[in-house]
Amino acid sequence: MRRSRAASLAAVAAVATLVLAACGGGGGEDGDASEGGVYQDCKASPTTCNAVPAAQLQQGGSLTFAIEKNLPNWNLNSSEGNVFETGLAVKTFLPWTFTTTPDLKQVLNENLLVSAEQTSTNPQTIVYKIKPEAVWSDGTPITADDFVFQWKTMNGKDCPECAAAQNAGYNQISSLTGSDGGKTVTLVFATPYADWKNLFASGTPLYPAHIAAQQGDLNTPAGLAAAWKWFGATVPTYSGGPFQVSNWQDNVALTLTPNPKWYGATKPPLQQLIMRVITEASQEPVALQNDEVQVIYPQPQVDLVQQVQNIPGVSQFQGLGLTWEHLDLNLANEYLADEPLRDAIFAATNVQSIIDSTVGQFNEDVTPLKSHMFVPGIDGYEDYLPPEQGSGNVEAARKILSDAGYTNVAEGQQLTRPDGRAVPPLRIRYTVGNAIRQTTVELIQAQVRPLGITLDIVPTDDLGGTTSSGDYDLIVFAWVQTPASFSNAEQTWNSTSSSNYGKYNNPEVDRLMHEAATSTDLAAARDTLNEAGRILAEDSYVLPLYQKPTIIAAQDDVANVRNNSSLDGPTYNVEEWGLRPAG
Amino acid sequence: MLAFAVRRIAVSLPILLISTFIVFMLASLSGNPLSPLLTRNPPPPPETIALEAERLRLDHPLLERYWMWLTGLFRGDFGPSVQSNLNIGSEVAGRFMVTIRLIAVAMILALVLAVVIGVISAVKQYSKTDYTATFLGFLFLAMPAFWLAILLKQAGIDFNNAVDEQVVYTIGDASVPLPEGFGAQVADIAGHMILPTISLALISYAAWSRYQRSAMLEVMNSDYVRLARAKGLSRRRVMVKHALRNALIPLTTVTALDLASIISGAVLTEAVFQWRGMGDLLLNAIHSDDVYVVMAWLLVTATVVIVFNLLADLLYAVLDPRIRYA
Repeated sequence: MRRSRAASLAAVAAVATLVLAACGGGGGEDGDASEGGVYQDCKASPTTCNAVPAAQLQQGGSLTFAIEKNLPNWNLNSSEGNVFETGLAVKTFLPWTFTTTPDLKQVLNENLLVSAEQTSTNPQTIVYKIKPEAVWSDGTPITADDFVFQWKTMNGKDCPECAAAQNAGYNQISSLTGSDGGKTVTLVFATPYADWKNLFASGTPLYPAHIAAQQGDLNTPAGLAAAWKWFGATVPTYSGGPFQVSNWQDNVALTLTPNPKWYGATKPPLQQLIMRVITEASQEPVALQNDEVQVIYPQPQVDLVQQVQNIPGVSQFQGLGLTWEHLDLNLANEYLADEPLRDAIFAATNVQSIIDSTVGQFNEDVTPLKSHMFVPGIDGYEDYLPPEQGSGNVEAARKILSDAGYTNVAEGQQLTRPDGRAVPPLRIRYTVGNAIRQTTVELIQAQVRPLGITLDIVPTDDLGGTTSSGDYDLIVFAWVQTPASFSNAEQTWNSTSSSNYGKYNNPEVDRLMHEAATSTDLAAARDTLNEAGRILAEDSYVLPLYQKPTIIAAQDDVANVRNNSSLDGPTYNVEEWGLRPAG
Repeated sequence: MLAFAVRRIAVSLPILLISTFIVFMLASLSGNPLSPLLTRNPPPPPETIALEAERLRLDHPLLERYWMWLTGLFRGDFGPSVQSNLNIGSEVAGRFMVTIRLIAVAMILALVLAVVIGVISAVKQYSKTDYTATFLGFLFLAMPAFWLAILLKQAGIDFNNAVDEQVVYTIGDASVPLPEGFGAQVADIAGHMILPTISLALISYAAWSRYQRSAMLEVMNSDYVRLARAKGLSRRRVMVKHALRNALIPLTTVTALDLASIISGAVLTEAVFQWRGMGDLLLNAIHSDDVYVVMAWLLVTATVVIVFNLLADLLYAVLDPRIRYA
């Protein structure tokens, strides 16, 4: 009996201790991981902050970086493999031509190339010069053959079974030839392509053609398809980057070690880099606090940012990225086809108040976006949005409607068109579970109510299906911008594009966008694209809201790891990552 | 007993079949596996989307897709995953072992705690010990599992800080890379198991200890226990040999019936602690509209629940000789 009492007391004490300890909470009383620490210079110097020369770093050591998705397919250029996290991972061991730096500039990858230049505009010709010492990890030189393999698998013609993530640009190449032992690559376009720096770039890196040739005859569609699938299914044993894969545990972690044949100027100081898969973003700060990971790069949310801020010895920085939120109207809706109604909705929408109630809660730098074509930081950005759009000026919105002959323009009434028909309730949609978008649509609903417009909020769990089928009247979602976005703009806004979900149709905008996308003069192309954007804005089809922030958080002994809000992500300079010496 | 077992299995099979049909329809109609492709920017070429639709059998009518899946099972084909490189059969087998490890340890822990504390509470009815156990039981019953897991994680980190050593871990079922040496590896795996198993066990323990307490009280007040005591048998002998044996019977049933909710708890626990078991597989499959993976999950977990309930019935008969199925 005595033993029972002792057991009972011990059990109660153990559990109570655990609960009390838990309730005590964590975080450090001395901890403040706000935008200070090692990231204090990042706002002013995004490309050089947290920089430590290689000689001052520990030689060796291990670093764990959290990624939010598994890597089920190793072929980044395939539709299935083309996800952000896979991009973060493969950039550690694949070579590419251009990269986007944290200041959102496209720069030459000098590890791989000596130069890449447009040598002729008619026909548009690009000449890449590969560094003589650039080799794959088995010693095979990186050559034009690798470029040709990629071109053939992604142009949509030579390999119909290769489900490429994209073929823009690749389908405009008329010839791609090698010279100087394959170290000079000459690319000729059939039709001009303004975004040529996007080809073979970090979004679509090079895979080894000599290994592809082991899977089949690369002069046949079947051989190309076999190699393409093999690259997707096989854990890479090859490398043309600073690291190579030493171990892969599915859904758990990718372990990388330095590539002994790495030809870049900076040799990785780390002995081991681990990419740990943490699919639950809310668990990342906890793992960071417990030193199970040293760097995290989650989507920022209010709770998460606060959690990170309370961890001692950790710095965080938020940047504004290339992904931007917007409110889209479906012009296939006969009521929304009338421009004054669209103008009024956009005038009544208060973008600043949406920001203040959502992302502004954790990032005071977010401001209303004023362009559809470029984001701030990218060459070409212009504030061309009409001033009333996104201003929340209800009186101006009422005036627009009244001037156009609408009646019942008041809260509690049903807005009526000049032809006497009442505007019925419209459906505004967002992705279910996205709290920020839910708040956004609720605010828009309230902001247009004084106009006599009723919005019914209808979440969707199938954003792709909803947009592609046009099953919405209004919808809030995001697009991703690229630094060279001329063909991207055509895909998004052109009247014949499958991505033009809201059925926008303006031949003049189509003409200008095509002119920009086929220009060989980048400065002129930017002006032309802005001209198209200006018309697009005046047509009140899509209202840009804001650039989505990104957040990086790292322990203070981690050097050279910094935020990169482009699709390149923080691993753009992975060869420089290292640890400061202890003490 | 054998006839009973066969009868139970025979009844279970149609139930399993109907549930697969319902879940297949719900999973197929509730989402679009092509959605991630359709929202890509820049968008993939239309030919790419068509290829993927064909691979996922989306070009077939829904009923035909179900029939293809059902008949495929007899050939060991679980259907195509949205991840073209994923072999659903071998993936589920690997994941199952991870989950079984988590559930088995948590259940043993929960049962031991429930029996010990339930019995002590009953024996010490209305004592401070009983009130404390009752309070903790209701506390864990009321506490959302997710929140409890988060609290445990924070407690684990505080413990690590207090001892200045990495003893407990918050993610995964082992470190990457695993430390060298047998002892270090055992310690590492144990360090990863502590929080998830406690988290999962406490939720079940809370309910089970209440059942155990009331069952024990009922038995203690029964005539045969009083008779045994009147015959001069020691209190300890009566409690252990007579009362406890009978008081375990209701808990056996409850444990078996609770298996489904433990599996649900494991889904959450695996997500919070990033274990790559069946729960994680289900969440990912739902998130990516991976219908055939959802179906494989259903098949395995439903079968486990059915088998476990059958075992509980058999055990019931063993524990209580008055009950015989023949």
